[in-house]
This record gives sequence, C-alpha cells and structure tokens, in this order.
Amino acid sequence: MSVVSADVVIIGAGVSGLTAAYFLARAGRDVVVVDKGIVGGEASGRNGGMISERTDEPAMIPMAVEAIKLWATLDEELGYPTEFTQQGRLQVAVTEKDMDDLFSERDAALRHGLRADMVDPSQIRDMIPGITDRILGGLFFANGGHANSQLTVQAFAWAFQDLGGRLFQNTVVTGIQVDGSRVTSVETSAGAIAADMVVGAAGPQTALMTQLVGVHVPVAPARVEILATAPVPPLFDIALVGNGLYGRQAASGNLLFGGGTHEWADVHLATDPDKPNTPLIRNIARRLAELLPCQADTPVIRSWAGVVEQVPDMMPIIDILECPSNYVVVTASAHGFGIAPATGKAVSDLVLYGETNIDIGAFGLHRFSDIGPDWRAELGWNPIPPRF
Amino acid sequence: MESRPLVVVGAGVSGSAAATEAAKAGVHVTLIDENPVPAAIAGLNVPQFFGQRFSGDLRDRALMLERVAAASEAVTEAKAAGVDVQLGTCVWGAFRNSDSSRMLDGPQLGLANDERSWMIKYDRLILATGARDLGIAFSGWNLAGAVGANGAFCLMNRYEASASRRMVVMGAGNLGLSTARMALDRGIEVAAIVDVSNSVRGDVALRTALQREGVKLYMSHTVREAVGRFGDIESVVLVEIDNNSEPVAGTEKVIAADTVCLAIGLVPNVELLSLLGCDLRFESGLGGYVPDRDDWMRTSVETVFVAGDVAGFHEGMVLDSEIARNQGRLAGLAAAESLGAIGKDEALARRADLQAEAVDSASNEVNSNWASWLQSLVTAGGPDIFVCPCEEVTCAELNDLHPPRRLKWKAERQSRRNLRTLAKDSPADSDQVKRLTRVGMGYCQGRLCREQVSMMLAAETGRDVADVPIMSYRPPVRPLPLKVLWPREEAEQVRRDWPKWFSPPRQVLG
Repeated sequence: MSVVSADVVIIGAGVSGLTAAYFLARAGRDVVVVDKGIVGGEASGRNGGMISERTDEPAMIPMAVEAIKLWATLDEELGYPTEFTQQGRLQVAVTEKDMDDLFSERDAALRHGLRADMVDPSQIRDMIPGITDRILGGLFFANGGHANSQLTVQAFAWAFQDLGGRLFQNTVVTGIQVDGSRVTSVETSAGAIAADMVVGAAGPQTALMTQLVGVHVPVAPARVEILATAPVPPLFDIALVGNGLYGRQAASGNLLFGGGTHEWADVHLATDPDKPNTPLIRNIARRLAELLPCQADTPVIRSWAGVVEQVPDMMPIIDILECPSNYVVVTASAHGFGIAPATGKAVSDLVLYGETNIDIGAFGLHRFSDIGPDWRAELGWNPIPPRF
Repeated sequence: MESRPLVVVGAGVSGSAAATEAAKAGVHVTLIDENPVPAAIAGLNVPQFFGQRFSGDLRDRALMLERVAAASEAVTEAKAAGVDVQLGTCVWGAFRNSDSSRMLDGPQLGLANDERSWMIKYDRLILATGARDLGIAFSGWNLAGAVGANGAFCLMNRYEASASRRMVVMGAGNLGLSTARMALDRGIEVAAIVDVSNSVRGDVALRTALQREGVKLYMSHTVREAVGRFGDIESVVLVEIDNNSEPVAGTEKVIAADTVCLAIGLVPNVELLSLLGCDLRFESGLGGYVPDRDDWMRTSVETVFVAGDVAGFHEGMVLDSEIARNQGRLAGLAAAESLGAIGKDEALARRADLQAEAVDSASNEVNSNWASWLQSLVTAGGPDIFVCPCEEVTCAELNDLHPPRRLKWKAERQSRRNLRTLAKDSPADSDQVKRLTRVGMGYCQGRLCREQVSMMLAAETGRDVADVPIMSYRPPVRPLPLKVLWPREEAEQVRRDWPKWFSPPRQVLG
C-alpha cells in the first residue's frame, strides 16, 4: 500500500474541517482531507444555514463576530457561490415568556457591544409580510444573515483543491498510529497517510475518533429535522426565529424551517448515520403555518434530518490534545455552520503558530476534566421514551 | 392512534387483488388509494405526469370520487369481500425507528386526504403503489400538453377528465401502443406514434389494428421540439435519426397536436419502500430500482410485502394484467398467513394455481432504449432543454454543475468544474449533484428528472447507470399544504417539551 504524506491530515470534510483546510492551504501547507462520505454530506450540508452574532454563549461572541466579517467576502475569495446574504436576523415573540427572553437577550447583546434593536409588531409586519397577528415584539440583529449550506461546503472544498489541497472522499479512517506522544499517520481505507499534524473535525464522530488515540472527549450526537416548502414569491431575506422554529426563505423561494425536539443518535466511524425524519415534521408544519398563516396553503415538498454533535456546555471545542500532542480537536457543538469561517481560521492558526488571534480559552478541553463517563446520564441526555 | 392489522396501499389491479385475498382469509383489510388526487396536486404533476391536460371535471371532488369508485371492478369486488376502502387518501410518509430515532412505539404511516393528515399503525403492509411515468427531456416538454402514459391513462380512463384532442405518442412499445389505443377509444385523435428504434417493439396485433385505423408510425424518429405560442403545445416537430441517434437534416415533419405523450417507460414507485429501509436493487429490465423480495412477495423488511408494478415493471405487464393480479393475491395470502389468519399449508395450497412470476424480461434491457431516447432528444433539442422543468435546470447546466441561474455566477474557477471533474473526486452521486444544481428539488419532487439525471451522470462519468446510487426520497412523498400536513390535535407533551435550539441543556430532551 502506497504511503501518502502531508503536513496536515484533516479528518472530516464538514464545514469545520474544510474551512481549516482552506486556510491552511492558503498559508502554503500541504493538506489532505479525508471523509467517510462526500463533502458536507452530513450536518454541514444539511443545516438551516443561519448566521448570527450569538448572545446565548458570551464566550462565542468574538468568534461569531469574526465569522461574519469573513462571510462578507467569501464568495469573492473562494470563487464559488455561498448564497450569503446579510439582511439581519429577527427573533420574534409570540408569548410573554418569549418577550422576557428577548429583553434579556437584548441586554446581553448590548453589554457585548452588538447591534440589537427591539422592534414592534408593525415594524415586524413590514419586515416579514404575512406574519401572524399574534406577534408581540421582536429583537433584530442587523448583522445576522444566512447562506446555502450545501453550496458553501462545496465552495470551500473546491477552493481548497484549487490551492493544491487533496480531498479523499468515501475514505474511512480505520486507525491512528501514535509513536510516543505524537501521531505519525492516519490509517484509512485508501492507505496510510503520514502526517506532522492531525485535525479531528469529525463532528458527531469526534469522540469515536479521539478514542482511537485513547482520549475521552464528551460529545453526544443528536438528530434534528428541517422541512422545505415549494418555492413561493420573495417574502423576506431575513433569518427568522420564532414560535419554536428557526429558518429562512432561500434564494430559490423555498421556505426552510426546522426546530423541535431532538433525539440522541448513535453514530459509527465507517458508515453514515441513519437520519430518518419522524412525524415531528407535522408539528414543524403546524408551527410554520402558525407563524406565517398566509402560507398555510403552501405545500411541503420535502424534509430531512441531520446529526449534530453537542458537548455538555454547548460550546465549541478548539484545542490541542496533551497527548498525542499533534492532534487538534475541533467541534462546533451544533453552532458549526455560521461560525465556521472563524473556527477554520482559529484551527489554522493553532496548527501554524500554536496560538490564535481570537481568544479560544473557553473552548479548551480542560473544562471537561471533571466530566466522568456517565456525564450523559447526569445531564439527562439519554434517549427519550416513545413520543408518537 | 388507530392501528390496522393489514394496510394495502394502492387499489390498482394488484392492490385490490391482495386486499380481496386477505379479506377472504379473514383479515380485516384497509385498502388505501390516492385517486382521485386533488386538482392542485395533479397540477404539480404528482403522482403522474398529467401535463395540465385535464378538464375542469377534476376540480369536482364528489364527481371524481364517484368516477374512480365506478372505474374499477376490482375495488368493487374488494368492498364486497369486506375490505375497508379509502379512496382519495394518499400515503405520504412511512416512519420507523432506527439508531437515530426511537420516538415511535411502532412503524407508522402518514395518511392525508384533501383536508387533513393523520397517522396510523399497522401490523402488516402491502405496497401496491404502482409505477410512475418516466420523464425524458425534450424541447418544449415544459409546456402544457406534455404528458406521461400513466398520467394520460388515468385522465382518460379513471377520471374521464382528459382535455387532449390530438396526441403524438412517444414510444412504440406496448405502453405507447396501448396508450394510443385508449386515446382512439376515447375519441382522441392519434396523430403519430414515434420511436427511436427502427422496428416496433410492441404487440403486432395492437400495432396492426392501430395502423388499420390510420395511425402513422414514425420509426427511427425522435422529437425535435414541441411548439406552442401561449404556453400550450400546438404542434410537434419530428425528425429522422441515423444509426448514431443523430438527427438527419431536412427530414423534419411538423405535426399539429395539443398533446405529446411520453410512453417510453414506467418506473416503480419505491419511495415508501425506501423510507421503510427495504433493500432495493437496480434492474434495468424492470424499470430501475426494485425491492428485493422472496417468492411470497415479502421484502427484506418482514412486515412489508409488495405487488404489481412497484415490484418491477416491464412492458409485457401492460397487456397481461394477470401477472399483477396474481402477485397481489400471493402478497395477500402471505400477509394473511403471517398474521396467523390461515395456516402455511392452506397458503401453499391456494398459491398453487397462481402464476405470479413475471415473464422473462432479462432480454428486455429497457435502459438501452431509454438511453437512446435521451441521447436523441438531447442531440435534437440542444443542450438548453430543461432536464428539470420545475427548477429550470438545463442539460448543459447539469453537465457544468452550474450554480442556480438566478445567482448569475460568472467566476472563471467555477467554469472549470463539471460532472467529470466531480467524478474524479468521488463516484457520481445524484444527491450531491442535486444539492449543487437544484436538479430534482422542485415541486414534482424529482419525479420527472430522477432517471435522466442518473443516466446523464452515468454517461458523463463513464459508469453503468446501475452503479449510480438512487436519489434519496424524503417525506412527505406527496406535496402537502402546511394546513393539511399539520396535526389538528397536537400531543400536549410535544407542545410542552418543544425546545429552543438546544438550550438550556437540561431541557433538550430530558
């Protein structure tokens, strides 16, 4: 079996792995990306495409702000379209409880120097024609936006290849060779790849991958669902959150909305996870029709599910393992898509310089030092009993 | 939630036979059929290629229900045997638990009529969901009046609501010939039957009778374009082709017609089988992906059986409905036996007189015929014909992996990417191509373009079409308005537990 070698081997052709690969290749590194499936075949190409300055996790704000700056020029830089649009993100309240949440979120946003404005129902009706009369108010983030997740991952993959990067799709990682305190090569179904540095960007498979080098990282995979309507004439270009849903009108006219209860999933190193939709799509439909009553007659033409990963404090991990000391772990904990340009840049910086411009102190593995093997049960993150 | 011992989906020849057989064995059977489909859904070319050639009658739901019920003796017989027949009801989803989903307490079907949707459980399921029209692009096929054989048949026969007056039929196999026969019998003129082959594949007696009635056959011909000024087809331009499927200059013939009927092939409706995780395999001689099944019509999922065209379609079945009927009876027997309604010996005894196996179709390599059609139509119509009429993706745009046209993307790097460069990275994958070009993402849910996308992927990347993975099926497999799909009564628990996005941690699922 021929031995391939690279400066950096990245495991996972999702959005975190590909953005890192792109920035590393741009810096002149020889990079190989391997994936058991196709580019963005899992959550990276299946998510809602939402991009926002997040306020629910303050430590993530600098990352999100940096990402939005990068998004603005991505199309031009990559040479391929991402469908990025930045008309803002609107969170609407349909209950008093929602309103209280919006006010506290607004206060948090202002504390962190973000642009966030409360908007009243008449302003909302101008922004989202046909929205329900039940709207009590909203919070508008002018810097938010959305992009086409599928085009974006392919854009990064192609731009990476244009810089000389090598992409091995349908290639399963079967083992990771460690000599002393360093990874020497990644073993795959296409042969061994010798590497100076490894980036594990394996999404839901992150924990399974680090287990190959004897390290426990607390990551729980979960399945989430989205539905798509037939295309309708342009209504709004704002990323919309409300009534328990998040979503957008795509450039193609389709309304894409997701939300609802998630289910913990089982994943494997060699095969794609099963991703069935469930009758929950009916409830998503109901919530969408409640939110946009004018669209009640619009047909739903498809739905899909994706598997995301989540860590106990719901924040990203961007860190180098202590041992093996040349293995970088990156997972965005279900926030991956919107902040991907910034996580990719941070991972690239970490590989190139051992440090990053953005503060990633909150994303270190040290925060899990007290997490035991039963952490999921302790958090109540166990499979749910039958619901339908 | 309601639970039924045996649900049969599809009240055609095979489904009705299955339901009747199982009912006679003492099983309480529910027979579901989506016909008549609501006019708004038919307008989306779902579930068949209706091509807008239906009369206003289709909007009269009561009239349609009456006609559909009257059109089938087999359904009448099933009712007489005690089968609970639900017409105008579609099955839009099939759900099961897996590694990634454990929220169901058993497999379920999603049902809907024109007003509401609901879920039911079942012990056994027989899918007799038939086949759908094969779509192959030609210039002008996005105009009203381009229809499919099954769509035309349904409008002419079951609905008696065809608005066609003068038809050109593409395909001189049994499917095309019998469509022409039906049209003539319904008072619709048949202006021409066209086929790329140099000889008629269909039944000799059928052909002779048609010719005797003045129907002209154009062999070694293809359709250059269908033409119409106001969105409706008014005429069709035929052209002769040479041995390489290339059009021969100067041989064009303009034929007045308001309807062009694609009768080149039918494709088994495997979407529910796919959702249920039944093993599927590609069989060129049977119309594409078909379920693995044993000689009792049982699929790889032991509670699910198949019968009729969905189990594999070939043109011999057009003229011989006994094959589908016997497959149905066999599936009905097997389901009844597996429910314990009859013993194995009795099932075996009743089975003895059933000849359910399809006639040998291995020699009938339908895909070579489909591929010849595709090649001739693309060559004659040019690279700008729409592969995917819903999303308006042209052949050239598919080959070039062109980003959706509305983006007006012009970057030079993109122009170096195409299907062939994509295939160097990874075997051609229709789902990946779908994501990049939007082919197959329209309101007809990919019904009109799936097969030709696979064929074009195969041709461009030098692979066999059998090696191109099936484009995925997602629920709802029928377009359903939000207000139909939504649950009228939402479980209190679902409403109470509905989370914000993964936050706060302890409320995610609990």
